[in-house]
Order: sequence, then structure tokens, then C-alpha cells
Amino acid sequence: MKTIVKASNLSYKINEKKLFHSISFDVCAGSALYVAGGNGSGKTTLLRMIMGISKPTRGSIESFANKEICFIGHKNALKQYLTVEDNLILSSLDTHLNLDKYLIDLDLNNSLDVTVANLSFGQQKKLALLRVFLNDSDLIILDEPCVGLDNNSQQILCSFINEEIEKDKCIIFSSHIQLDIEANILNLDRQ
Amino acid sequence: MKIFYFELLKLRKKSRGWIGPILVFVLIMTAFPLTIEFLNEDLNQAFFSVLWIALMLVMMLATEDIFLEDYNDGSLEQLAIKNQSLALILGTKIFIYWILIGVPISFIGSFYGFGITRSFDLGLNVLPILLVTSYIFLNVFSFGNALSLTKGSVLGTLITLPLVLPLLVVLGKVVISINIGLNYFGFLVLLLGILSIIIVVIPLIISFIIRAHLE
Repeated sequence: MKTIVKASNLSYKINEKKLFHSISFDVCAGSALYVAGGNGSGKTTLLRMIMGISKPTRGSIESFANKEICFIGHKNALKQYLTVEDNLILSSLDTHLNLDKYLIDLDLNNSLDVTVANLSFGQQKKLALLRVFLNDSDLIILDEPCVGLDNNSQQILCSFINEEIEKDKCIIFSSHIQLDIEANILNLDRQ
Repeated sequence: MKIFYFELLKLRKKSRGWIGPILVFVLIMTAFPLTIEFLNEDLNQAFFSVLWIALMLVMMLATEDIFLEDYNDGSLEQLAIKNQSLALILGTKIFIYWILIGVPISFIGSFYGFGITRSFDLGLNVLPILLVTSYIFLNVFSFGNALSLTKGSVLGTLITLPLVLPLLVVLGKVVISINIGLNYFGFLVLLLGILSIIIVVIPLIISFIIRAHLE
């Protein structure tokens, strides 16, 4: 099985405080990694290291993704002054074959001409998640993807992730909500 | 090409981002002759000084939140993990600002030059200088705003202001050349030389600064 992410002896220290120490893990294609831990345990930092945004204090991390990493973080990367449709154009999703299906599933099909600033927090999160649903990257990183989502949307997300794993994609996610996804667990509280 | 279209779409929809600086420029250029004696013979000379200063201030205003919005909403994070060069994306962003703000202001400035000096040639001669200078100012002030991305734009302005002072000296020399009828082409080439270095180096430096901010 092809390794997509390989981390060796990762350590991260901020202001002399150790967030985690000497973590090693491999994530292969067709598998998921659930990064668990309490607030401030370094989950987001670890995910940002995988994307190459943050650098570890010690150790190394490599990503062998074929395409651009697909990432959803705490910030939705949506333009508040643009409509839903304009935001889809900005993400190059407006012509995607499955767009209509997911718009209906996420109940966003009647909001295409609504400005993002006028959507609720949950609707904005769903719009951001469309980037995940319609991507073709082999590495998907989700940082707290369920925040603000209703039960139906959470289930859509879980079934989507399970389908993607079956399609040999690699999913790495952190969440405080228990998700119905078969994944290896990396608990940062024990590091 | 996609980046170009996306940045254009964003700025076009955020009309206050580009109409605001253009209106401020028009306001300064319209208000300036009202504050001094119309028959003053030095009006022509004073006009150019006001033109350069107005151009500099408006470019400073235009770049005030050039990266801040993308930083706050997480778009910069998304750009940083793209396979495309971040420097190229940021360079394109600055270029779009120049197309939507710098170019119209240059034409308006040239038009005012024609109106105040009543010399069509003078108005026309100043146009290429305005086009090149506005692009240089946009790059330099974007650099300042990237430096002070999370600290407010005042700090960035303070840092970059000394960098644009030599440029103002060159612009002063251009005006003297134009006024006494000398060939100012050499100054235009000098400004183009500065621009050719800046449009490569500044987006590259900004990309490193932004990656450091994201980290």
C-alpha cells in the first residue's frame, strides 16, 4: 500500500512548552488517521505540519500526495461579500459534475444567489465542505469538520469519507465529535 | 490565467476596495487648485508635486488590506498549500490591483495634468511615468502590508516610506526635465528598470513573509 504521509520523530515546542514529543506514524492510501486530543494538545499544529505550513521543532514529515492537498480548517476560506455561486467559482467547483447532487444533499441549492455573510455559520461550513466533497486530491485533511454541522450533514460527511477511503484516498482528521469512520487513532494527550 | 480571473472577480465585487482610492485621488486633485491662487504662475510646478504625493498616498490606501482579508478568512492558507508558486499568485494579485486602481488613476492623473497645465503633450508625457510609478508604489506598499499583516497597516507604512523617498526624488527630476523641455526618457527607463526588479523580487519576499505569518 502506497504511503501518503510519513512522519518520523516529530516534536513541537512552543514558548518552551512541549506540545508533542517524538511522534512517528505512516498514513497509507485507503486509510484514515484520527488525530485526537484535548484543547491545546497540538492537533491543528500537527495537521498544519502535514500540509507544510508549520515546521516541526525536531523530526521530519513528508507528504507524497499526487495532487494538491484538500484542506478544511477552522477558517472556511469563504469570501463573505460574494454569493455562494461566486465562492463556488473561486474554488473552481461551479462546473463539477456532482455539484448539484451535493448542493441538494446539503440543502444549499436554493441559496446560490445569497451572499455568504447572510448564511448561518452551519451553512457556511457546509459550503466550505463542498470543496472536500468535490475534490480529487488523494490526501484530505479536515480540522474539526463537524463544528456547526447538523446531524444530517455529519452523516453525509461520514459516508463521504468512508467512500473516499474505499477509493484509496488518505484522510487525516481531527474532531471532538465521535465520527462513524474506521480510522487509526493518534492521541496527542498521551504523547 | 485562473488566478487572474479569480482575483479580478474578488476585487470587482468588492467595489469599495478600488473605487475608494480612485475617489480619494480625484478629490485631492480637484481640491488642490481650489486652495491656491488660480493665476499663480507656479501652479504648473506645484501640480506635479501634488500629483506624485497624491499617487503615493492613494496607493498606500489601496494596499491597506491587500492580504489581510485573505489572511483572516483562511484563503491565504489555501493558497500556501497549492502546487502553484505562492509568489506568482501574490504577484498576480498586485497586478490586478494595478489594473483596477493604478491604471485608472494614471489616466485620471494624466487628464488632470492636461487640464491644469493646458498642455496636451505634458498630460501625455506624464502618463507612462504615472503607470510605472503606480505599479512600483503598489509593490512597495504591498511589501509593507505583508510585513505588518497582523500588526496594522501603520507599521508597514512606516517601514516602507523610506523606500519610496528616493523614487519621489526621481519623480521631482522628471518634472524639472519636462518643464525645461529636456528628454525625460532616461528617467522612464530608470523607473522601468526599478519596476522590472521589483515585480520579481517583491512577490517572492512577500511569499516568504506570508509563510512566516502563517506558521
